[in-house]
Amino acid sequence: MTTVEKQLLASPRNYGYILMVALIVLFLFGWSLTAVSFQGMNESGLKIAGNILKGIVHPDLDLLLKVSKQSVLYLLAQTVAIAFLGTLVGAVLSVPLAFLAASNIVPKPVSWLTRLLLIVIRTIPALVYGLMFIRVAGQGPFAGVLTIGLTSIGMLAKLYVDAIEELDTRVLESMTSIGCTTFEKIRYGIFPQLLSVFLSVTIYRFDMNMREAAILGLVGAGGIGAPLTFAMNGYKWNQVGSILIGLVVLILIIELLSNKLRARLVKG
Amino acid sequence: MYDKIFPPKQVVLPNGKTVQEKRTRIPLILLVLLVATVLSVNLTDFNLRMLVTRIDQFFVIIGQMIPPKWSYFSPVWSALLATLQMSLLGSMIGAALALPFAVLSSSNIIRNRVVTAIFKTVLSLIRTLPTLVSAIIAKFIFGLGPTAGVAAILLFTLSYVGKLLYEQIENVDMGAFEAMESAGMTRVQAFRYAIFPQVLPGFLSTSLFCFEGNVRYAAILGYVGAGGIGLIINENIGWRDYPRVGMIILALVVTVYLIETVSEHFRKKLI
Amino acid sequence: MIEFKNVDKTYANGTSALKNINLAIEQGEFVAVIGLSGAGKSTLIRCINRMHDITGGQLHVDGVDVAKLRGSQIRRFRRRIGMIFQSFNLVTRTTVIKNVLVSFVPDLPLWRKWFGVFTREQKIKALEALDKVGILDKAFVRVDQLSGGQQQRVALARTLAQNPDIILADEPIASLDPVTSRMVMDDFKRINRDMNISVIMNIHHVEVALEYADRIIGIRKGEVVFDGKSERVTKEILDDIYGGKIEEMNPSPEEFMAHVR
Repeated sequence: MTTVEKQLLASPRNYGYILMVALIVLFLFGWSLTAVSFQGMNESGLKIAGNILKGIVHPDLDLLLKVSKQSVLYLLAQTVAIAFLGTLVGAVLSVPLAFLAASNIVPKPVSWLTRLLLIVIRTIPALVYGLMFIRVAGQGPFAGVLTIGLTSIGMLAKLYVDAIEELDTRVLESMTSIGCTTFEKIRYGIFPQLLSVFLSVTIYRFDMNMREAAILGLVGAGGIGAPLTFAMNGYKWNQVGSILIGLVVLILIIELLSNKLRARLVKG
Repeated sequence: MYDKIFPPKQVVLPNGKTVQEKRTRIPLILLVLLVATVLSVNLTDFNLRMLVTRIDQFFVIIGQMIPPKWSYFSPVWSALLATLQMSLLGSMIGAALALPFAVLSSSNIIRNRVVTAIFKTVLSLIRTLPTLVSAIIAKFIFGLGPTAGVAAILLFTLSYVGKLLYEQIENVDMGAFEAMESAGMTRVQAFRYAIFPQVLPGFLSTSLFCFEGNVRYAAILGYVGAGGIGLIINENIGWRDYPRVGMIILALVVTVYLIETVSEHFRKKLI
Repeated sequence: MIEFKNVDKTYANGTSALKNINLAIEQGEFVAVIGLSGAGKSTLIRCINRMHDITGGQLHVDGVDVAKLRGSQIRRFRRRIGMIFQSFNLVTRTTVIKNVLVSFVPDLPLWRKWFGVFTREQKIKALEALDKVGILDKAFVRVDQLSGGQQQRVALARTLAQNPDIILADEPIASLDPVTSRMVMDDFKRINRDMNISVIMNIHHVEVALEYADRIIGIRKGEVVFDGKSERVTKEILDDIYGGKIEEMNPSPEEFMAHVR
């Protein structure tokens, strides 16, 4: 056997592993396929698809541009307001939870329990909270704010925790040598380190919450979602078109702003 | 802009040197935030008193969920499986479709600016549409049932994975690609052997991450008639049968946690 | 004037870090403390501003019995002693001037302390301190955009803003490249000479220590084994301080200076 052949045989062989993973994936794919059927789809489906497209191309400009309580502009503003206040509420609630979940601040069992709570909060879909808060606060945008606030906690607190655990504590030593008290060390040593990260994470979440706020209307929690559903159920495709155009443009603008702001926060 | 309205302050040191200090933007930022908050409070009918007096109701509901109704497990199980099927299928097809979309959006592979611009715009437009909205539209086209849910998840996966993938392809080291092209390979061949291996781990890991999120999305799609667990959540909250809702949530939390753990294991292996 | 009288330091775990230290350092001296890692250099320096408590003997700084200070007395005492660290210890996510202004924080009235609003005089003092170390133009730049040498100068400016009588430096150039090290050492020397501030510095690079310091203190296993003018340090004395390990511990002096020149 030549050395070349030896090397050839020695080449790492994880084909078995890859083959197994591929088989599992293939099996899962086949299993999932049993869920779909195209029986519900018929010619009217295609016609509706055509109508939707027509509606988007010919939006109801009156609805889109007029200023009244039913207009797209007002509802979009309300959606932004729900997302904004919800993010604010979520951020305020997340800060103490994040400190309770940071393993370098509190004892292990406490941080473990808080993390478990955060996972549970994060996993429950927003609509479930939405339906529950409607029982508490009645239909309307206020329920939406509370829902967004609660759903934001899961991600916000998790990312805040990361920032807290990465804190640079060496600066505290130098502040001790300057003669600072504990309060001064927190205010001038820890606060500035956390502020920019917390802000950047919160802005990112606001961006995501725009989408959440847009769908909460489906359960009656205010914002643009409800009129969108009504328009669709009533087959008013040009209204659907104008709402969708407004929503997409708004979300794109907010995403752009959020990216710019965060880039500035990171680079200074 | 801001510097023009409020010109930088000149600070003169005793030794005659001067320093330009830009005016702080903090008052402006605080003002904007304050105005935004006040406006939002008005627009959303934010009512602190109602919150304080009624928030206990929220915990009453949670209290009723505990203990969950264990005997309700078997309907939950079949709904959960339907939800999983929906998200698996949508994620797989979406991720597979994302590959050609991403390639066609990458300006370093496709020389035609118009093509890349069109595909990039399509991807970002799809991404902007909330999943639930695309699910409703899909419901009108495919009829009630999981197919609409699959379509919605597929679209979201396509846009999310597609965007991250083309960003990755555009940032890839082009040296190997050029070397292979100069060695006489076609652009497709060069892509297959020079760029694909570089982006594959990132692609798989993004797809897995997207799948994790999709399980959660799929859980709510039932609300608009796409079947699965969202349907029974909606029904049972409607009937105020909270022990059953508790059972559903427990099953969902455990499932999502398991999936996240498994997926995280594989994602760590990939990177 | 810093006076160690029979100072002992034993850590809680029983390790004896300093044994029977007797030293007197006059105002305005530039002292380099050399020795192996773990010999007790850091402990010696940190006893001076009470970052560590001594366990035996007496330590006087300008007539103050350091061991007897309590609570806010310690903090007020530390105001007059600056300290520089190997890792700069700055808040990197904020601007240079805000890092320097931290020096004034303990003197602020409560509302200013909460909102972080400093007076004009304080800002000018901070800028002057930055000017003294030659980075005035970086005053409003974020610290994470500066090089290591510039960051150590910010730390130096922060210390200068305290208007200290003494500067303690714990391995100030250990994370810097030779060229930058030299610039930072020049800053130390100038501050020492022009402002008559005592500098007490732990340092690994023997050759740099010999060049810049007036006086060398050699420490081995918690004891002072050499104390004298830099010119008096010979190869034998270094062998004694480092237990014959000087070649292993440091880049050879020739090699180090070759980088510098």
